[in-house]
Amino acid sequence: MVFSAKTSGSDEWKAVISAISTLVEEATFEATGEGIAFRGMDPSHVALIDIAWPNSAFEKYECDNDVKFGVRIDEFSKLIKRADKKDSIEVSISEENLLLVTIGKNKKYKMRLIESSATDTPLPKISYNARIGVTSTEFDKILGDIQVVSEYLSISATASKAEFSGRGDSGEAVITLEKGMVEMPEIGVKEESTATYSLEYLNSIVKAVGTVAGTVICEYSTKMPLRLEFKVANIGRIHFYLAPRVES
Amino acid sequence: MGLDLKALCNREKTNLESFSSKIVAIDAYNAIYQFLSIIRGPDGLSLTDSRGRITSHITGLFYRNVNFLSLGIKPVYVFDGKPPSLKSAEIERRKQIKKDATIKFEKALTEGKYDEAKKYAQQTSILKDDMVEDSKRLLGLFGIPYIQAPSEGEATAANLTITGQAYASASQDFDSLLFGAKKLVRNFSNSGKRKLPNRNTTIEIEPEIIDLQKTLADLGLTREQLVDVGILIGTDFNPNGFERIGPKTALKVIKEHGKLEAIPQIQEKLEEIDYNQIRQIFLQPKIANVTEIKFGEIDFTGIVNYLSSERSFSRERVETSINRLKKSIEKKSHTLEQWFT
Repeated sequence: MVFSAKTSGSDEWKAVISAISTLVEEATFEATGEGIAFRGMDPSHVALIDIAWPNSAFEKYECDNDVKFGVRIDEFSKLIKRADKKDSIEVSISEENLLLVTIGKNKKYKMRLIESSATDTPLPKISYNARIGVTSTEFDKILGDIQVVSEYLSISATASKAEFSGRGDSGEAVITLEKGMVEMPEIGVKEESTATYSLEYLNSIVKAVGTVAGTVICEYSTKMPLRLEFKVANIGRIHFYLAPRVES
Repeated sequence: MGLDLKALCNREKTNLESFSSKIVAIDAYNAIYQFLSIIRGPDGLSLTDSRGRITSHITGLFYRNVNFLSLGIKPVYVFDGKPPSLKSAEIERRKQIKKDATIKFEKALTEGKYDEAKKYAQQTSILKDDMVEDSKRLLGLFGIPYIQAPSEGEATAANLTITGQAYASASQDFDSLLFGAKKLVRNFSNSGKRKLPNRNTTIEIEPEIIDLQKTLADLGLTREQLVDVGILIGTDFNPNGFERIGPKTALKVIKEHGKLEAIPQIQEKLEEIDYNQIRQIFLQPKIANVTEIKFGEIDFTGIVNYLSSERSFSRERVETSINRLKKSIEKKSHTLEQWFT
């Protein structure tokens, strides 16, 4: 069995790990000829991350037999943090079933793998009526703006504008983005849609990967889950699904 | 009372939050007895409504379940049915303790020794049929399901964990493990300081979870052997156990000899005990077959009216708790599962 995947820098793994660490403590990656994939839900099953990291995004990628490997995210994270930004990272699996991680020219780690208890996680089947593209810096700002008054973000979209709002004991906040504004390069609405999501989950994922993603694509329908797509250079895409808040 | 397996179990600290969205089968009598003994006024007297009826049990159930539901925990209560006839000795013993305690309590009260009175009062709690009815009524208003077991409630609760209908069984009694509960939760309430019954000290209580498979693997026993260990220590069905055999010795001799019949030094005493029937009570217990556990809507107004109008609770305090519950339910997110199919 040959499996080895090399990235030219360390930002890619750092982004992937910090995204996953917002939801779970243990992660099982699946490597195939196509690339590396991860899918997992948080313990309360409110949020799901689906990562597709295609072979073309790696500097060097080899995998002639499908392989799953499980890691403790905190252990893996500590190790990857030892890499400088420009250090390449090469990951493979040794014969004694350890994860081999080569950082830069001269650092080699061996790390224990864990038995994966994860079962196959399906994806939510939803058709999205609203699609909004917001620059990740703007999206991060909006979350901060809403958080001043609320623990929840409501999104309402019509053909010409998107409204982000929140309401709490102390008051209300509304941030409006009109079609054509540079902060919102894309808006496509099949049907006017409104839904509300937990800021806690949104904040942690945007803090984790927002900085390396140029634009965040938000897709949702009324009272349905939200899907955020982060396009990250040299990773491909990270999908983040979030169930809506129960509305009374 | 109950079986002392504390020293033998693999007990892991846990917290209530980790039971969010999980169904937990609660030993109802065990919980209600706790409320009756702990929730008392400074003189040791139970809380009562304007008609003099005891309300300690519904006070406990109310606050406990507001808390469970706020955290998204799904409790299901299992009530005891008719106890196995072998339990009569233990039941007599408990009655006697209560009688003695009642006399001491009244004496202490007339002498004005309130601390002492309270200490004895906690041992006098008697669970009456109307309290069971009160409890069921309140659970019904909460939309919380309850199950009437044919015999020991713990047996039915344990079976719910075996069928996968419940994630864990909650009780203070280790007997649940002998009944086969896959996971047993003790101290299933908020962690915090708790007054010890009968003593004037407080201790830190935290929920703990015991995994039956792990415990058996650690001890190197089968469940049948664990039942034998229990019989040696003493269960509700042979409360005295065996002389000079505590948990550690019991474990040692069962590991050495495999089963009760093969332990030479106890044979004479063993003849006096209906150990095969005790084994059967634990291993093939009478249980309720539960086809579906259904959670209903919470009748917020119904709860407030029942507690404040009928049972003399302060309306304001009940409403404060109910509003807190409403708020935390509103705060919840759905789970993604409903969109998987």
